[in-house]
Amino acid sequence: MTTEDAVILRGIVKRFGSLVAVDGVDLTLAKGEIHALCGENGAGKSTLANIASGVLAPTEGTVVAHGTVGLVHQHFELVDRLRVWENVVLGREPRRGLRLDADAARDRVRALATTYALDVDPDAVVETLPVGIAQRVEILRELAREPAALVLDEPTAVLAPKEIDALFATLRTLAARGTAVMVITHKLQEVISHTDRVTVMRAGKVVMRAATRDTSIDAIARAMVGGELPALAARAEVALRPSFTARGLHAGEGAHALHDASFEVAHGEIVGIAGVEGNGQSALTDAIAGVLAYSGELTLEGAPLRGNPAARIAAGVRVIPQDRQREALVLPWSIAENVALGDQGRAPLRHGLTIDRSARDALATSIVKRFDVRAASIRASVGSLSGGNQQKVVVGRALAHLPALLVAYQPTRGIDVGAATLVQSQLIEARNAGAAVLLISFELDEVLALADRVLVLYRGAIAGEFSRAGFDRARIGALMAGAA
Amino acid sequence: MGDIAGFLQLTLVKAAPLIFAALAGVVCERAGILNIALEGGLTAGAFAAVAASYATGSPIAGLVAGILAGALLCGLLGVAATRFNVDQIVAGTGLNLLAAGGTAFGIVVVFGAPGASPEVHALGTQGEGVLIVAALALALALQLGLDGTAWGLRLRACGENPRAVLSAGLDPRRIRVYATLLGGALAGLGGVFLSLGELDLYSDGMTAGRGFIALAAVIFGRWTPLGATGAAIGFGALSALQFVLQRAGVPSELMQALPYLAALAALTGIVGRARAPKADGVPFDP
Amino acid sequence: MSGRSGAIFAAVLLAIAAGAMAIAGANPIAGFGALLHGALGGERQLSETLVQTTALLFPSLAVAFAFRAGLFNIGAEGQLIVGGLFAGLAGASFVAPGIVAIPVILAAGALGGGLWGAVAGTLRARFGGSEVIATLMLNIIAALVANYLVVGPLHAAGVAGPETAPLPVSSWLPVLLPGTRLTIALLLALALAAGLSFVFARTVFGYELRAAGDAPAAAERAGIDLRRTALVAMTLSGAIAGLGGATLVAGVLHRFNVALSPGYGFIAIAVALVGGLDPLRIVLAAFAFGILQSGSLTMQALAHVPKDVVAFIEGLAIVGLSARRFAGSRGDGH
Repeated sequence: MTTEDAVILRGIVKRFGSLVAVDGVDLTLAKGEIHALCGENGAGKSTLANIASGVLAPTEGTVVAHGTVGLVHQHFELVDRLRVWENVVLGREPRRGLRLDADAARDRVRALATTYALDVDPDAVVETLPVGIAQRVEILRELAREPAALVLDEPTAVLAPKEIDALFATLRTLAARGTAVMVITHKLQEVISHTDRVTVMRAGKVVMRAATRDTSIDAIARAMVGGELPALAARAEVALRPSFTARGLHAGEGAHALHDASFEVAHGEIVGIAGVEGNGQSALTDAIAGVLAYSGELTLEGAPLRGNPAARIAAGVRVIPQDRQREALVLPWSIAENVALGDQGRAPLRHGLTIDRSARDALATSIVKRFDVRAASIRASVGSLSGGNQQKVVVGRALAHLPALLVAYQPTRGIDVGAATLVQSQLIEARNAGAAVLLISFELDEVLALADRVLVLYRGAIAGEFSRAGFDRARIGALMAGAA
Repeated sequence: MGDIAGFLQLTLVKAAPLIFAALAGVVCERAGILNIALEGGLTAGAFAAVAASYATGSPIAGLVAGILAGALLCGLLGVAATRFNVDQIVAGTGLNLLAAGGTAFGIVVVFGAPGASPEVHALGTQGEGVLIVAALALALALQLGLDGTAWGLRLRACGENPRAVLSAGLDPRRIRVYATLLGGALAGLGGVFLSLGELDLYSDGMTAGRGFIALAAVIFGRWTPLGATGAAIGFGALSALQFVLQRAGVPSELMQALPYLAALAALTGIVGRARAPKADGVPFDP
Repeated sequence: MSGRSGAIFAAVLLAIAAGAMAIAGANPIAGFGALLHGALGGERQLSETLVQTTALLFPSLAVAFAFRAGLFNIGAEGQLIVGGLFAGLAGASFVAPGIVAIPVILAAGALGGGLWGAVAGTLRARFGGSEVIATLMLNIIAALVANYLVVGPLHAAGVAGPETAPLPVSSWLPVLLPGTRLTIALLLALALAAGLSFVFARTVFGYELRAAGDAPAAAERAGIDLRRTALVAMTLSGAIAGLGGATLVAGVLHRFNVALSPGYGFIAIAVALVGGLDPLRIVLAAFAFGILQSGSLTMQALAHVPKDVVAFIEGLAIVGLSARRFAGSRGDGH
């Protein structure tokens, strides 16, 4: 170990029961470097990060750190209802006698904010902060402990392109001050642009190490997947017919509301909504799904789209929700039982007062086959499936019969590349077959790869529209961040 | 004038066990443990206090025993919730049943006959007064403590997001268990007031659902010590009113039902939508 | 709870029970022996055990029904009382052949319990108010209301004590075993268990109920109205408990008395949990607890162990069983 190394992980193995999450990994974080850790979902990156920061103990292997290791989580671990200063000093509170010294705490926050150029109001209540600012609070909390190394898990997932640049500038400052920085990310463009070193994990092992300047996006991607990337389905020439329109849609309240959205989606096209998380995407999805009250008009095939979710499903609207485990599936139930969800009240799955089990099982079997769901049988519990296979069940159920309108909200979140490509291909094929598809995704690359037209959503309003021929990535990115 | 003073005094006497139990509820819930075993804590405290006083002749011994019994019962909930991630409402219901059965059993074993204990050395009017003052002082102390100390900050953080507490390098489970021990001690103190403060004996079922009224007081008081105390005093006033109105011919059952009806009214949100601690009752599985 | 840890847990409970008996100055062997003899020692004892089983079965199915829908019905006791009250008032108010009177009385019980459950259900569905608090409060209110009514305005002439006038003999539930208190209520309870099992497993209604309990967010997006489900589930749950109260009135006591339940509604929670919320397993669990209930009186009389030790052990059992997680979020509006 040289004096330049902040953290050394040697021979790390981590088992959870029979599952081997990390299988013999060596990793060194050097001071002053920004080190990228890449890999698919389930490759073991987050587990390794937790071990490096001391949250988890390894089953085997050693962690040697010259100081503490801070961890900024993908889903922030802040106390929303408390203030910024309360979150930052939690556990190391300045005191005056028995009392908590709030003034000293505020000063501490301001000092840190100045040092690292992370501007934030110490008295703000965290839940009122936009996501990008809330992230700063978590970073400040970790920096308050003066760590030798800072690990950030998927930090740019919730940031607009400009904020991403600002974050990496901060990380560069941090590195220059001698901290070792590790960024876990699957955004390969950012890896190439902003990091010094890359390590790729696959199935718990390290499969590639390189200096960033010596490698490329393709090389990293191939290492992550372990071969060639599967191909996306081809887009067909489709004649467009009107299908869905939204006029003056207002939904939700507060920072994440939707304001006066008007747009159309035609049969045979994919309309992509580009935008950073928290700009009204959830309100939009939930309004169309019928679980959120809204004002404005929605029409489907010329008729008003109204009523509760059941009515909308019957009218041909299918939604793939953002959080499959909570909003789309009943985890303890079997695949067969889950497949009926949404259609349980109507023929052919309903037979009088009961569920027609043979029809349900037939549907489940066909979905499993068509979407390549890896499961022991249709009786297997959905909770026992991997994220990718769970999502295939959800998508398969939505596409069992060609919908009039398919809303896909973050359809490839948290699943491996193989399943993600399959899901994306299914969306294209649905479009080819004449469905109207509304794709809402926080991954700009995904939107640009799949959509025929892109609408940018910023602060709940549509800020711009682009058709496939005229996709201007820089301009779209600027609109996503609020440029005029 | 004497009537008003008498009414106020009766109000405080009726409110005191509710205040203790409500404070217990606030402390536990702000830490993230949904404690519906307040009734059990009151029961255990009331019984243990009388049993100890019976055995030693000292009401002070009773006081200590009552506190410990309450702490033990609610501590069981804390341990079950943090180590075994139980469903806290189910566990709380079990503890209430356990306390009811255990104390009925205990009456026979300790005092020889079912139903009630004989009279024992109690705290007397003076002791009663001291406890009432203690209740109010504790309410203030807990309010200040929750808002202005590091202990309070950590406890509140546990009730909102135990993961954040873990990230901060603390142990949310330990904080929660201590909270239930403190809460249980408070509930036990409430029981001591019932059996050794207001009276001088223990009888089967004497807690009469006060632990549940205390839960309503916690909601009414928006999970703050002072708010819950205020609500508890309000319920105490309703109870005191019972004696007045009964003379006017209002059926006693209606009066007795008033606090419970008020609690139902609280559920309709008449009191305004207040939010429980985010992680209240949610098992924490790191 | 897995088989092995279940066995360990049962052993621990037995040990604690034995310890309690010893503290009471009794010989644990004699205590257990008296319990078992009192419950199963003869035809008369067994019939009484089945009576207790029936009394537990109704509220247990009620509790399980609500739990499956994601709701905590801690108010089976109150719903049982109100159901019994309605049944007692109805039954005492007219004379008719059993074939007419009995369904009316049972329906009155279901109506009373259903109404009581609906109060909590409305507070939950309309206001998002916690059904835990609501049912706890309603238990106590039920006892007070019942007491007031039968001692006060609805007091029947010639009746001493907090009870209604006796039911005419023609309205009594037919006895299954002559000379015992075992009535057709047992058959009714078993049929109900079978019916609920079918509803959960095969019907659309049962499917939607389970979805609301196991994954409320997903259920809502699948078109299931969570508020309506909460109200319906609490009402039906209350009705089942109320039906149980009616069978106690028409079959065991032959009148309504405020003290008709020694806490069946609370023990039912333990029974429902031991039965894993499955109606058919609950039948077995109810039988086990019925043994405890009926044997405990003999245990007290013969071995001088206070019968409350049973409640103590049952409470301990509930705490132990609370580790079993019930899927889905509570979302109880708390």
